[in-house]
Amino acid sequence: MSNLARALDANRPVTVRRPNRRQGIGADLRALAGHVDLFWTLTAHRIRVRYKQSVLGVCWALLQPVGLMLIFTLVFGRIARVPSEGVPYSLFVYSGLLLWSFFATAVGSATHALVSHGQLITKVYFPREILPLTYVAAALFDLCIGSAVLGGLLVYHGRPIGLAIVFAVPAVMTVVALVIAAALMLSAVHVRFRDVGLAVPLLLYLWMFSTPIAYPVSGVPAAYRPWFMLNPMTGVVESFRRAVVHGTPPDLAVLAVPLITAAILLPVAYATFKRVEKTMADVI
Amino acid sequence: MAIDVRCDRVSKRYRVQRKDDVPAGLAGRAARALWSPTVDFWALRDASFDISRGETIGIIGRNGAGKSTILKLLGGITDPTEGEITIVGRLAALIEVGSGFHPELTGRENVFLSGAILGMKRREIRARLDSISDFSGVAAFLDTPVKYYSSGMYVRLGFAIAAHLEAHVLLVDEVLAVGDAEFQGRCLQRIQELKRNGATMVLVSHDLGAIEQLADRAILVDRGRLIADGSATDVITRYQRLVNGSDAVPSDADVNEPGDAPVRIAALTLHSPEGTSLLAAVAGAPLIARVSLSGDAATAARVTLSFYDFNAGTLLTTCSGEVPAATTPGATEVSVEFTFPELLLAPGVYTLGATVTPVGAGRPVAWRFGRTTLYVQGRHTSQGVFAQPFEYRVSSHSTAARLPVTTESS
Repeated sequence: MSNLARALDANRPVTVRRPNRRQGIGADLRALAGHVDLFWTLTAHRIRVRYKQSVLGVCWALLQPVGLMLIFTLVFGRIARVPSEGVPYSLFVYSGLLLWSFFATAVGSATHALVSHGQLITKVYFPREILPLTYVAAALFDLCIGSAVLGGLLVYHGRPIGLAIVFAVPAVMTVVALVIAAALMLSAVHVRFRDVGLAVPLLLYLWMFSTPIAYPVSGVPAAYRPWFMLNPMTGVVESFRRAVVHGTPPDLAVLAVPLITAAILLPVAYATFKRVEKTMADVI
Repeated sequence: MAIDVRCDRVSKRYRVQRKDDVPAGLAGRAARALWSPTVDFWALRDASFDISRGETIGIIGRNGAGKSTILKLLGGITDPTEGEITIVGRLAALIEVGSGFHPELTGRENVFLSGAILGMKRREIRARLDSISDFSGVAAFLDTPVKYYSSGMYVRLGFAIAAHLEAHVLLVDEVLAVGDAEFQGRCLQRIQELKRNGATMVLVSHDLGAIEQLADRAILVDRGRLIADGSATDVITRYQRLVNGSDAVPSDADVNEPGDAPVRIAALTLHSPEGTSLLAAVAGAPLIARVSLSGDAATAARVTLSFYDFNAGTLLTTCSGEVPAATTPGATEVSVEFTFPELLLAPGVYTLGATVTPVGAGRPVAWRFGRTTLYVQGRHTSQGVFAQPFEYRVSSHSTAARLPVTTESS
């Protein structure tokens, strides 16, 4: 080892690869921070590729939440006459759909992040979590665009915007943490079990209807409500809607379940991801 | 001497799933997914080697011997099962040119994307964008989506990016197998330039000529074991012996064991008229091929130089000269120079071989094949193998007045 010790000059990084290396989450995060340029380049690339050859361009980011809003308003607002807490139904449902679209788009696309980049994964090394993370960032970009429509709806219905934006921040940050945890976990498991990729769209569909998007929490029978509140997306959507539609400051009690879920899931998902990462290239 | 790369008893095991008994039913398949009988396959076993700073080493071996596994382990794409790898410095892997390209994006956007994947900062890429586009020769199409690129342009841009990486340790896998001869020549020059700048390099190539000319040292792997480590010349000889093990022709007569044959071919090298050593020549320009012999040339011998097509392996032409018997007995060093005032080969890749046959004998006593690669560059892309010098003239006559014209001139 004496030769090697002499070789370790200060300005050159030293990498050691050995079986079952556990370098800890701190070192993993530092490596990730060192590749922040790749993250931004890939995110920009993702957004650009998506809209490059489409005529409507960025409008596609609006199409999913706006289209769903129109159909939901027609079916649930006009025909089924679902109550909406005294708010115009279109505004009520759009505030829920906007956040849900972000969740569903990010989780759905990030699940395939690793498998669709198999070519790259077997050819070069970089922290693999960057791939699912860029899908989350691209979906976040769509969320920002979709927020413009929300702003328009608020103005149209004569509601104040100002503080609502600030009040919505905790809910958005919580959903981003949940999305990152789900994206890391699902993309890593998808490498070995391709069933995941097939199951996710169905699960997201069922999940959407178990979340108070098209209907208010108050409409859920009291007997089901404790179970209902265990769904982390319930608290996030509720908190977001209260902030933007009613201008209510964030309430920790509402966000408690999603916050605790995120706090537990995020480290577990990251550790799982990094464990799978080591032999990912062998099975992809 | 500082060491940049150290592999210490490194092994890599792959678990291959046994396909013999596929269980029936959903429950059986689910159980199989969670636990399935596997067969161990050791792609690499107990490999130890060091690479010093600034050294270029070639890894050679047959297909599936473990070369790519070594590169993947060094590059961090997968982790070793046993042992330890230490790398000092920033590492970049050039494993497949252009593998990170996205067809919808322009060349420029792809430069940034590929650069970032290979570990460059945006600022560094911006600073090198001009030299990358100059090197690639696709500067005019930098704002065109790469899906409209020819495969040649694709490869050029990919190599250009990789060639401008700032890495201490560079892993290069079969890049010389791509592009046209002119570009391959440029790639070789760039690799030599990086080498001169002190980069540590690991090359994997099937082009033994390129390995011998670029690598200071070579490692031979076979069935996951490292079986030779030494000078590129010696290890390539060992490899050729391994590959041609069962050949009727004694393939080890060319180098290495003095005493096997009275004469050996120590080297077959290419030079310019000024005497500088060449890897790539220009069609139509002069070229010198030098065959260096060593040993006891007691009898007069005929030295034959032959040119082969690199890909097809067909013999294109030979030329030979006679070396008179040495006047003084004992070991001597003789070199025979073949001068080609005007290289008549079309741009392309060729290999050179040489044999030594004693005058009067039917069989050569020493030979050397497949070790010297000649990359011929040229301004004009002519097809085929020969660059036949030609002139052309166009003449036209009005044929309207005299319709029945049957004569033809050549």
